[in-house]
Amino acid sequence: MRESNWIWQFSQILNCEVEQLNEPISYFETNHIDKQLLVTGQYIYLNDHSYIIMDTTDEMVSSICLKHKQLTQSEAQLIRLLILPIDEQALVTNPTTNQFEQQIMKLGKWLDEKVETKQHNLAIPDELILGRQLYNEMIPVLLSADSQSAQSSTYQELDKLIKSFLSDEVIVIPLSLGEWLILAPITILKDDEFIDEDEQDSIELSIANLAYGLQELLANEWIWESHLAISYPVVPVKTIVSKVIALRETMLIGRKFHIGTNIHLQWDLQLERLLHMIPDQEREKYLEQSFKKTELFVESEMLNTLETFFNLDCNVSETAKKLYIHRNTLLYRLDKLKQETGLDVRLFRDAVLVKIILLLYKVTKTY
Amino acid sequence: MQMAGVRLEGIYKKYPGAEKASVTDVNLDIQDKEFLVLVGPSGCGKSTTLRMIAGLEEISEGKLYIGDRLVNDVAPKDRDIAMVFQSYALYPHMNVYQNMAFGLKLRKFKKADIDKRVREAAKILDIEHLLDRKPKALSGGQRQRVALGRAIVREPQVFLMDEPLSNLDAKLRGQMRAEISKLTKRLETTTIYVTHDQIEAMTMGDRIVVMKDGFIQQTASPEVLYNHPVNIFVAGFIGSPSMNFIDGSLAEVNGEVHFKAPGVDVVVPEGRASILRSKGYIGKEVVLGIRPEDLHEEPVFLEASPKTIVSANVDVAENLGHEMYLYLAGIGTGSVIARVDGRSTLRDGASVKLALDMNKAHLFDKETELNIFEN
Repeated sequence: MRESNWIWQFSQILNCEVEQLNEPISYFETNHIDKQLLVTGQYIYLNDHSYIIMDTTDEMVSSICLKHKQLTQSEAQLIRLLILPIDEQALVTNPTTNQFEQQIMKLGKWLDEKVETKQHNLAIPDELILGRQLYNEMIPVLLSADSQSAQSSTYQELDKLIKSFLSDEVIVIPLSLGEWLILAPITILKDDEFIDEDEQDSIELSIANLAYGLQELLANEWIWESHLAISYPVVPVKTIVSKVIALRETMLIGRKFHIGTNIHLQWDLQLERLLHMIPDQEREKYLEQSFKKTELFVESEMLNTLETFFNLDCNVSETAKKLYIHRNTLLYRLDKLKQETGLDVRLFRDAVLVKIILLLYKVTKTY
Repeated sequence: MQMAGVRLEGIYKKYPGAEKASVTDVNLDIQDKEFLVLVGPSGCGKSTTLRMIAGLEEISEGKLYIGDRLVNDVAPKDRDIAMVFQSYALYPHMNVYQNMAFGLKLRKFKKADIDKRVREAAKILDIEHLLDRKPKALSGGQRQRVALGRAIVREPQVFLMDEPLSNLDAKLRGQMRAEISKLTKRLETTTIYVTHDQIEAMTMGDRIVVMKDGFIQQTASPEVLYNHPVNIFVAGFIGSPSMNFIDGSLAEVNGEVHFKAPGVDVVVPEGRASILRSKGYIGKEVVLGIRPEDLHEEPVFLEASPKTIVSANVDVAENLGHEMYLYLAGIGTGSVIARVDGRSTLRDGASVKLALDMNKAHLFDKETELNIFEN
């Protein structure tokens, strides 16, 4: 196809003016487009024009410019397919620009396969080890994002975002669609003060802070709704497969039992894990047969009261304070619960049962 | 700062496998610099609508414009919006300055530009003295301010706020409500705000969109919503205590239109009566809606409105100091609330005569629940 001919055809099909342009790199940089995004095949929407990057040198960027036109992701992909040679298309869809990234992609693919087939005890084969880092203790975080825009984001963009937030030593490994494993060196907890000064010994709190920070980063900077499952530090080279299997289970259990929560901490879900092992039918039967008036537990006021009461270790005064109610109001609510269900949550034995009922209700309600 | 309106044209959201759409045919034209509040009970579709504007949810049908740009297929991060969530979590390892600067750093802004924006936002939010502090050293209200600051420095076209105050205690919520209103007026940025709290909606919004079951019920200014609700749902949802509803019927007696219900026989003013006649409501069942402040016990009202007087018994009198709520029996079949002066001497069990302000009362069609005078 002659150049002038295809440009004309493009402009007819897309109903806009199309031009082949050579712009200095500075044009994009002054408009806050990162140099790293100026790679062959990249689609950029800037100042009401759409650009598909054809080639980039140290100073100039060659592109196809569609004036006053914004493309959908699929339109951009189709144009890419039409104008780029096959080998360059492969580069765009699998954008590994250096050897390290290629290794990461291979490791991700291997890991995903082994996790799917539940090969718990496999160590990473020598040819996939990414330098010495994987021999050190790292905090494993499983990141999952459901939205289409999250799933179509490039690996480089996410890798760059997380590294600039935490540290260049972080490793981001793509697993399945919309799922990534983030390995953060344990040193960032100390260096970046995730550790709470008042609770130096609480590794759980520091790791949870890391997860909250990551979730907030994605929500704020990219408007992503993400879920994160997080666990204690591991030496990835030996235990990475079993750790990802455990994190996927944590993610599944967390999302099932705690809808509306985005951070799933492995150590916080022990009871949920146990209940998850009980078949659905058995759970429902247990609820139906063992307790009377269980619907009282899920009235929003009672539910909120009980969850706060349990979160504050069954402390009546603290719970009343947190709920902004008088201590006697709280006692009245707890007495009412006792009267109607026979369960007094101030007693350890009954508190455990009510906690279990609340958890079971959450999952049986979703069926 | 670049600014823009937001336009929703025939927006639907239907989740795969769901029988009904969660959001149905939403059409809104939100003006540049406007503060629009989406309000309604839980499950009404307000958050889903906001999430579609943000790009967190895909739009099943319809068109969404930010400024003149169609953004249905634009990734959330490229929509030039800033979202303030319920959680107001901050980046725990960064101080307040770094929290606010991080997004700009990521977008490769120059250091001097970042510094200028952060300090300006800090000044507006009155958190200049906190810039070196870590989030854990801040109170709930201060954190909320920093979260707002992080959104402000980006100078987005639109702010989206999803119940940002719901995690705060009542006192702080009141304070932050006023501060957010003041802030958005000062920044002149288009803001879309979701809440289930009708007081927040009434006090903050230039316009309010009341939603129910995925449908917009009414879009109007707070004054219009309060005084001219289009249906029973809006009338009952806006206002606290809620509007009283009395089931009854209309009858023509000696050339006057009467509203009759158990314990109630009041005359409808002539201007309104002629509307009822022309619409064929005489002899039909209707619902009378009257706000608690439109029932008067003062002698001057009773003398001036002899044809709208009802008798009732006070079940409970709640004295709030500056005003008193009377929970009344004997007006229609249910309980009716009157808001009277705090100095009233009425107590539980008392008998009382009240005049209904029929110029402010509403009549609703029993079947369609639409306001007869507003439709």
